[in-house]
Amino acid sequence: MTEASTQQALQNGSAPLPIRQREGVIGAYRTEIAIAIAIVLLALAVGSQVPQALSWGNFANITQAGAPLMIMSLGVLLVVITGGIDLSVGSVFSLTGMVTAQAMAYGFGGVGASLIGLGVGLVFGSINGFLVTIAGLAPFVVTLITFAVAGSLAFIVTNGRSMPIGDPDFWLLNSGSLVPGMPNYILFCLVLLVTIEIFLKKMVAGRWFYAVGSSSAAAFLLGIPVKRTKFLAYVASSLLASFSGLLTISYILNAESTAGSSLMLQAIAAVVIGGASLLGGTGTAVGAALGALMITVIQNGVNLIGINSFWQGSVTGAAILIAVLIDRFSKSRRRAG
Amino acid sequence: MHDRQTFVVTVRGLTKSYGATSVLKGVDFSVARGEVHALLGGNGAGKSTMIRIITGSAAKDGGEIEFRDAAGNLRAEAEGRRTVTVVHQELALLPHLTVAENIVLPRYSSGLSVFDGKRSVQQAYEALGLIDRDFAACSLHRPVGDLSLHEGQMVEIARALSSGAQLILLDEPTANLTAAETERLFSLLRRLARENGLSVVFVSHRMKEIRQIADICTIIRDGRTVVNRVATSSLSDTAIVEKMGQLAAHAPTGTVSGARRSAPDGEALTIREEGLEMMLPPGTILGVAGAPAGPESLISALVGAAQSKRWSVSFSGWPQRFSSPHQAATLGAGFITGDRSQKGVLRSLPIIDNVMASRRVTRGSRLAGGRENAECFDILQALKVKAASLWDLPDTLSGGTQQKLLLARWLGVPSRLLVLEEPTRGVDIGTKKEIYQLIRDMASSGTIIVWWSTENAELLEVCDRVVAFDTEGRCAGIIDREELSEDRLADLTGMAA
Repeated sequence: MTEASTQQALQNGSAPLPIRQREGVIGAYRTEIAIAIAIVLLALAVGSQVPQALSWGNFANITQAGAPLMIMSLGVLLVVITGGIDLSVGSVFSLTGMVTAQAMAYGFGGVGASLIGLGVGLVFGSINGFLVTIAGLAPFVVTLITFAVAGSLAFIVTNGRSMPIGDPDFWLLNSGSLVPGMPNYILFCLVLLVTIEIFLKKMVAGRWFYAVGSSSAAAFLLGIPVKRTKFLAYVASSLLASFSGLLTISYILNAESTAGSSLMLQAIAAVVIGGASLLGGTGTAVGAALGALMITVIQNGVNLIGINSFWQGSVTGAAILIAVLIDRFSKSRRRAG
Repeated sequence: MHDRQTFVVTVRGLTKSYGATSVLKGVDFSVARGEVHALLGGNGAGKSTMIRIITGSAAKDGGEIEFRDAAGNLRAEAEGRRTVTVVHQELALLPHLTVAENIVLPRYSSGLSVFDGKRSVQQAYEALGLIDRDFAACSLHRPVGDLSLHEGQMVEIARALSSGAQLILLDEPTANLTAAETERLFSLLRRLARENGLSVVFVSHRMKEIRQIADICTIIRDGRTVVNRVATSSLSDTAIVEKMGQLAAHAPTGTVSGARRSAPDGEALTIREEGLEMMLPPGTILGVAGAPAGPESLISALVGAAQSKRWSVSFSGWPQRFSSPHQAATLGAGFITGDRSQKGVLRSLPIIDNVMASRRVTRGSRLAGGRENAECFDILQALKVKAASLWDLPDTLSGGTQQKLLLARWLGVPSRLLVLEEPTRGVDIGTKKEIYQLIRDMASSGTIIVWWSTENAELLEVCDRVVAFDTEGRCAGIIDREELSEDRLADLTGMAA
């Protein structure tokens, strides 16, 4: 009876009065809608130069090529929300591919080899999480170390040679259709996107991610499990990087030690374009996914128009700058998604 | 009220040392169900350490703690701790999350539960509405980072109220509140204590508030309990201060105006806004009273922190408006912020860098170190700051001592204007008197002081003149010392005290 002494008073006290309601879906997702519009405009601009850019075939190309980056970005987002950074995702991506291909060469089937590959993500995610939470090292330093180590292991596995995929059915992981009419890479993207978005928005543990990134000292005082939350973020990030590595080798049917080397910066770029702050506490899964999509559309456009592909980085840089400037000068403070 | 008292928490012979310093040397403390209990003691007496041990965020070295439920049955320590909640002096807020989430999120103990947005808004509204219904109705979806310090304080208190705790420990909860909000908070706490058996422990250095709210008090001094559970009404102000070991400091500080009559001549600083002009001769102490909107605008204009066309100053060698705090500082306009934890103390820098920060700017120093060591040592001696080393981090000092570090930045610096925001927040009565004297000394050397305080009694004690702002942020009037009274201030600021 006394457990909730204050609560009783609260309930006896005030009758509900009109509370100003939160804005609807459009208001809550205004950053994301702006990015989506920007992507459409960008696609139309490319299409005005190269008409086949707007074909279904090219749409399939973009989603196919963009799926691994999108999945990796969702993982990086989870870490960024908690106020950390994960520089190791690209190396984990490469190492997963090499380990999986090598496992198949040793006679494992596609499923067994994939599980071993995901084990790479689990191990490196746990190492990151352990060093950040228990050892208390800075995330930048910790993931710089695992970036270097996983990157070098990716060469050591096959002594630097690329490795063809042994299981003839392995392409099904990426391009098969678990749901009729929808290739798996799109299905995986959608399921992960929706799951993570709902987790972040509706689950208490998801709100803890924002709380920890917003002020980890305050979150600690409030009894929120700060270390556990951060640990989970690093494990999830590495697992998703691993998974996107699997999707990629299932598509290319060949594993290379340097496959992921450009992906880490692209994933961080996607998260930033998607409205997350690298200082933590903000960002949405929908935003990060759209950021990844925008980067893919830019790369695809640069290729189609026939611009020297060395310009890709500059165009992506300009996109990040514009996204960040718009965010900086929009009126309201960014808040947790 | 209660025929037999149940003690929700009892602490016996608690001891705690940090390294060689023993902070608690055997403290006794107990709180009965349904009482409002003042916990008193000077800075560094051990109040905060004891609170940390009760809530489990620090481990005890010796002694015992015992929690009981309403029927008087003993509880397990971990379970007992869950019935205690603390409103921290340094706010524990999540700036990116909304007001509603900040209030309700800590109530969830499992990450696997679904966060019910609609219900949490309702719950947050019920808690925050008890303090300020209008504020609650319009702010639940705002990110907490957009709130002012005092709005943040209300969120923090609402969180404690909605936590379902049996015992709430409030560590200087009124430091950031206006008089009207304080009044509302007090009547709410009294009601909850009376009707629902809530126990409240109240830490404050404001004697008037202690008398207003607390029935019972316990005084801690140097890590020992010197007064244990005595009716507040049975102790005179002098007796309380004496027990705290600060009698000397409490002695009347003599006539203030005498010192100031001898203030040097010189040019007056004129502060203007449309239809208003304030002339401040050298050595004037101008008080600023009222809800934050007005004072904040005046202060940020005076120190160059924000560009606003509302205020302008005229003074030889100064622009009408400072373009930055750097320009203000180099031209001799100092500023000591009221937001100690966020904007004041440089946490990762040692004490010496914290103290010398403003001097380095005003002098344009290129090198740190050298003669600074001796100078810093002298400054800290003058302020009676006890620090083991100048190279310790500020977090090794108590809250009140950190406040002194901020003051130390500008004390003794030859400046023409010094703007202070709540310079005595979190500071015990003895230290307060020291600070008053230090500021008066600066004034008598010709510095013009602008002093914002939400404690009207403090303005009465120190200021020559007070400019009062109403709750809308408009200037409501300027009162000279002869006409100053708490009623007058309460009247003009629209905040009944």
